[in-house]
Order: sequence, then structure tokens, then C-alpha cells
Amino acid sequence: MRAPDLERQIYVAPSEPPATRRPPATSVGVLGWLRENLFSSRLNTVATLLTGALIIWFIVAFIIWAITNAQWSVVTNNLRLISSGLYPRAEIWRVELTAALLVLLTGLGLGIWGRVARSVWGVVLVALAVVVIVPFLGANIPAPTVHLLIEPQRSPATFVFLGNAGDEISVELDPLTDEADTATRQLGYVESQSRTTWSTQSRAATTGQLDLSDYNLSLAVRVLDSGLSPLSADGAPAAIVSTPAAESGTLRITLPRDGWYAVEVQRDDEDRDNNAGHAWLRIEGVDLFPSLDSATTGRGADFGAPPEVDRPIYAEERAHRFEGARDFSEFVSLQLAPFFKTIASEAFIGTALFANGWIIGSLGRHENAVRRAAIAGWALAGPAILVILYGVQGSNTLPIVPSSVWGGLLLTILLTFVGITASFPLGVALALGRRSDLPVIKWTCTLLIEVIRGVPLITILFMAKLIVPFFWSELSDIDLTVRMMIGLTLFSAAYLAENVRGGLQIVPHGQLEAARALGMNPFLTTSLIVLPQALRAVIPAIVGQFISLFKDTSLVAVVGLFELVGIVDTIVSGQPVYRPYQREAYIFIAIIYFVISYAMSDVSRRLETSGAGSVRR
Amino acid sequence: MTMQKEEVRVTTNNNSREPIIICHGVNKWFGSFHVLKDIDIEVMPQEVVVIIGPSGSGKSTFIRCINRLEEHQEGQIIVDGIELSHDVRNIAAIRSEIGMVFQQFNLFPHLTVQQNITLAPRYVRRQPRHGADQIALQLLDRVGIPEQARKYPGQLSGGQQQRVAIARALAMQPKIMLFDEPTSALDPEMIKEVLDVMKELAQSGMTMLVVTHEMGFAREVADRIVFFDEGRIVEMGPPEHFFNDPQHDRTKLFLSQIL
Repeated sequence: MRAPDLERQIYVAPSEPPATRRPPATSVGVLGWLRENLFSSRLNTVATLLTGALIIWFIVAFIIWAITNAQWSVVTNNLRLISSGLYPRAEIWRVELTAALLVLLTGLGLGIWGRVARSVWGVVLVALAVVVIVPFLGANIPAPTVHLLIEPQRSPATFVFLGNAGDEISVELDPLTDEADTATRQLGYVESQSRTTWSTQSRAATTGQLDLSDYNLSLAVRVLDSGLSPLSADGAPAAIVSTPAAESGTLRITLPRDGWYAVEVQRDDEDRDNNAGHAWLRIEGVDLFPSLDSATTGRGADFGAPPEVDRPIYAEERAHRFEGARDFSEFVSLQLAPFFKTIASEAFIGTALFANGWIIGSLGRHENAVRRAAIAGWALAGPAILVILYGVQGSNTLPIVPSSVWGGLLLTILLTFVGITASFPLGVALALGRRSDLPVIKWTCTLLIEVIRGVPLITILFMAKLIVPFFWSELSDIDLTVRMMIGLTLFSAAYLAENVRGGLQIVPHGQLEAARALGMNPFLTTSLIVLPQALRAVIPAIVGQFISLFKDTSLVAVVGLFELVGIVDTIVSGQPVYRPYQREAYIFIAIIYFVISYAMSDVSRRLETSGAGSVRR
Repeated sequence: MTMQKEEVRVTTNNNSREPIIICHGVNKWFGSFHVLKDIDIEVMPQEVVVIIGPSGSGKSTFIRCINRLEEHQEGQIIVDGIELSHDVRNIAAIRSEIGMVFQQFNLFPHLTVQQNITLAPRYVRRQPRHGADQIALQLLDRVGIPEQARKYPGQLSGGQQQRVAIARALAMQPKIMLFDEPTSALDPEMIKEVLDVMKELAQSGMTMLVVTHEMGFAREVADRIVFFDEGRIVEMGPPEHFFNDPQHDRTKLFLSQIL
């Protein structure tokens, strides 16, 4: 009776403690995390699998398209337009100086006030390495074959290309065989005309047949000077070869010198009304560039301006396009390498400047001189940038560049920069005015805020463009870009004012009383006590407002400015060769928008959590 | 110190010095609610006046009228020879003579303790930064928390915060200090550390008006006790008289309930 009772009540642990064991594998580490977060319940499991499948499907589809199919050359070849719009090429250093200034100041600011995580530096360095190394990879893709569609109506057809001494090219008239053949060769077809005509013609091309003897076509390859007069190189004949195509159909030549060449297809027959039939002109071994602009900018320095010819045709890189069949090495050497080559030096200099600023900033974080320099730098950056970009009247080094030719990322960033710096004080002033004790100020501010908030941004922009100059004729002299800046500023300020007002409301009344009891006047009370607390409380909302301002700048495209969206719109509609590649162009600027927006919201998150930003009660 | 204090009392009693605060026929309404009724009181320099009374009796409103945090509608309030009027310069002049300590501390949460203290001297009195910092450290030493200068208010206990608030008010070198229930928001353990600072301040000869429920403090430190009820002064006198021999029935009732 007593013994079992005791056994139940008394327990003494064995002198040897049990060995410490690891927890079950399913409750810790990766497995544990997965189990807890992704597969904790039946519903969660289903949701995980469904969303996971969706995300993977989307990403895989996108990557496959981006590698095998997409033509990123629309971006590579238009980087200058995308970055600075129609800003004059001779003055482009001013844009570069501006960018360098902003990058340096950003680095300095982050060094002093921010904390850049080590992982960020890792990402930056890896990206930089990729940018620098990739152009040297897989550059051994043979020069592609260009297929040109020769139409009877078009005579002469002149294909212009740049050649180097010793290049071997072959030109061949290639009869059409069947529809499948056409389908592949269309990809190599280039013409400065609209896509609709193009497809009609290529359809016609599948049905026509070309009897070369009917048309008496002749092929000629000439070296050209800028006057199109055949050039005699070292006493050589002007036209290198001129072969009646009908005889052999093929022309093989070794180029004698560096310079511009033209392949001319001449039609020499009496039967001009017979317009039936098409042929492909196949050219191998020539260097490709997509447009006159790219030909000029890329190689003009070495070879001079391209010659003026009648109805020129430029080869385009669509020749590289093999639908769904391009492999990864071709992607790297044909798509990535040219792009990275274009941006490599800028990316390198930019990163170096940023790193310099960051190092100076983080070393001098506690030095008053450095901090003052950074603040002064940011304060002066705005006016300095505007002067650099706009220029000075009558100056030779800084001639006026009207803001109507500013464009691309430059204009987007300028609009955002001006919008933020101008709307912040204005928004704060409106918020304070709305809480003013003086009814007139209060009502005016309230009216302004509510009217602006009650109207879509696009309306304000149109008003700035069309209606305001109608009422005040003096205002019609003001630059459209400046008017858009004002419109964006007002719009942003109204929303900002409401955000700031929310912040003002959470500052307790006791803070005001304490400040007043210390003898502080209303100005000191507001600027030293109320605003610092109110603004810190609404940093996320304010940054959100600034991010949406950044994105809203795209609306000025509708009013006729060429910021990022506007310029891409112009590129894909104004240069027909790029019309099929709208997707690539818009995806590229979407990436730009995302990167900048994400950086802004990341900085704001750091501001919130950093010591200076957190409100402590 | 005590000797000096006795001398002061003598001179105060002899009325040989001008009163530093004169309230004459002060009336105030919140809307139509008559919150202060014909308040007449004079406070001598270096006098410690403790104001007690039930909640809603107008005692807080009264001392807030003295530095114009509340506006009185009738009567006169003259502080250090300056009458409180709508003249902004008068108000600013008077506020810089009067320090105030609040029930809820009202420290500036976005500034460090040291910045809290130096803010007004630097921007209102335009003292150089270095000098203001020195004074701030001395004051923190005086209120017993010299090591907290670089912390933020939110990192301090309630008692420490209230002592910072006292130091902040003292940094403006006021002639008068107003205390609006300085210990009411504190844990019982922390009340003593604040009261000790206030006692030290009283002994150093500061003119003080204190609204409080701390009867021990009132009995020990006050030169005079003023009892408020329903917006008027019901009874006024030195602590010995007030606690041992109250005359008015309302005073007797109040004391019987709290003691």
C-alpha cells in the first residue's frame, strides 16, 4: 500500500544527465522553416504549390523569351536617347557631369547618414564585374547574313555598309523558292517603311517569282566618299566590280580599304511596267548596324559621315534573330555583350565615384566639415545642375540647350528632383497654413489642397500646357518643361500637405505648451519642435508620395515631353525597324523605374529604423 | 542656507519687498463655464506657494494663466512688474522669467536630454552652444542625473524625465517656477526623487508655485498653502495654520478626506 504511493510521489533524476540531442530535422533549419511557413496546413500547402507554380512558370517563360527571342538591341542602340533624349551630342558631357555629381553626392550622403549593407556592395561588385567581363566573352560569332528584299518598283536599291580593308564579302541574288524559305528570310529583311507595308510585301514576295534575265538586274559594289562619287583608291577603278547578276548571280570581293561601301542593285530594262516578282539579295560578311543614327554615332569618328545616297537601306540586326532557336552563347555575344560594352565605362566610372563619395562620407561621418560639405553640396546641386544643363546666355562653354530637347532618363530624374525639392517646402507650408489660426490663410490653403486633390494629375498637366497660357499670355513664354515641373510640384505638394497634416496631428498639445512655456516663439516652436516630430512620423508616407511622383512623371509623355516613356514611345514608333520590339523597350524602362523606386523605398526604410529617424517616447 | 531662508521669510512678512506676482480680480471662463472667480493673491520673491484642492477646482488653470498658457478674461496679472496683456512682447518677456514643469513632463522626444535643456537657451536667449552645454551639464548634476545627458527621454524612467524637465526649465534662469502636479504621473517609488529636487530648489530661494496632492511636501516646504475649490480661493495660510487649524468647512472636509 505504502510502497507504490511513495514511488509515485518521489522522483530523483539519475546522476548522469541525458545526452543533449539535436532537435528533429523537420523542426529546424530549412526544412523546419518550410514546414512552418509554407506547408503548415492543407490550405497553406495548396496555396504554396499554386503560387509557386505560377511564379516559376512566369519566370521561366520570361527568361526563355528574354534569352532566345527578345531583341534587346532596341535598347542598346538607343541608349543615348533613353538616357538623355535629344540633348545635343556635342554637349553630352554636361549630362555626364550632372550624373557624376548626383552619383557622388548620393555616395557621400549614404556614407554619412546611411548604412550600406555589405551585401549591397557584393551585388554592386558582381554586377560591375559582369558588365566589364561579358563584352570579352563569346565574341566569335561569325558575321551574319543579311537578306534584303529586292522589289521591282525600287530601283536602284542601295545598301550602305562600312567595310574594313581585307574583309571578304559575298553578294548574291537569291531566288525565292518557297514559303518556308520566305518566312525565315523575312527576319533578315530590313527596310525603312512601316510594318504593315512590310508584311504585305513579304506576303507578295512568297508568290512572286523573279526571272533575273527578265529584269536585267545588275549588282555593283562601290567605295564611296561622302558625295557618292565613286572613289578611286590608289588608282584602282572606281567601281570595284560590276557584274551582271544574271551570269553567275554571285559576287565575291575583298575590300581594298576602310570606308563606306554601297551595294547597288540596278535595274536596266525597258519593261518597267512589269512589276511582278521579288528576289532576295543575300549579303555575307558585312558589319551590321540598325539605322543611320547608329551608323553615324558608332563609326562616324573613324570613317566620317556616311554618304548621302538615294533610298538607302541599312542592315539591321534582325538578321541575328532565329525565332526560338537562339542559344545562350549567341544571347551573350549578340545581346548582352554589346549592351554591356556600351555601358561599361559609364558603369565603372559611376561606381568608382559612388564608392569614393561613400568612403569619404563614412570616414568623415563625424567631421563637421564633411557633413557641411555634403549638405551644401545637396543644397547647391539643384541650381548647379539646372545651370549646367540649361547653359548660360552668351557663353561658349555652356551654350543654351533649350529644355525642349531634354529627354529620357535625364528628364525623368530632373522632373522628380525638381518636384521633390520644390513640393516638400510647399507641401509643409500648405499643411501649416491649413492649420493656421488666420481664417483667410486657412481657407486659401484648404481650397488649394482640395482642388488639386480633386483633379487627376493629367488634367493639371494639360491645364499647365493649354489653359494657363490662355489666361495669362505672359505664361505662354514659359517653357513647357518648366510648366510641367510646376504642375507636378503643385500636385505633389497638395498630397504631401495632407500627409504632413496627419503628422502634425499626432504631435501632442503638451509639446506646444512646453515650447511656449520656454519662451519660444511660434516660428521656433514649429521649426524645432513640431515639424521634426511630425515629419519623422510620416516619413513612409512622404517617401511613398515621392515614389509615386517619380512614377507620375511618365504622364508628361502625354503632354508631349520625351521623358522615359515618351522617348521609348518615340523610338518604337518613329524608327520602324524597332516597331516589333516595343516589349523589349518597355520592359527595359520598367526595370529602370523599378530599380529607382525600390532604392527610394529602401532608403526610407533605413531612415525609419535609423537612430536619427525613430521617434522615441 | 536655512538661515538665509529665515531672513527671507522675515522680509516677506514685513512686506518690505514688492510682490513678484500680483493677481487682482482674475476671472476666466471656458465657454460659459466660470472656471476662475475673482482670484486675488500676491506672491513674494522666494516664497513657496503650494496650491491644493479637488480636481476641477481651477488650480491648474490658475497657474497656467500666470505664464499665459491660458488667457484670463477679467482682472490683472502682474508678473515682475509686467502686466499680462495681449502684447506679444510682454508675454514673451514674462515667459522667459517663468519656468514651468508639467504633469506629463512634455520633454521633446526627438532630442537628447542635453538638447532638451539647451534648446531654449540657445535659440531664445541666443547663448553660444558651448556655454549652454556647460550649463546643461551643471543642471543635470544638480538634479542628480549627470550621466544621462546623451540619452533620449524615452530611455529614462518617469522620475528621471521629470527631473530633466525641471533642469530644462531652470536652464532659462527663471525667477519663478510653476509646477503643475509634477508627481501625479509618477510611480510611487519615483515621487521622492522629484520632490527632493524641488525641496532643494525651494531651499535655494526660488519663487515657486506648486500644484500638488503631496501633503507631506506641502507641510514641509510650503511658506503658504492655498486651497482652491470651485474656481475660488477658499482658504490660504501657512502650513501650520492650514493643516492644524483650518477655518472653512470646505477645507475641513477636504482635509478630513485626504489625511
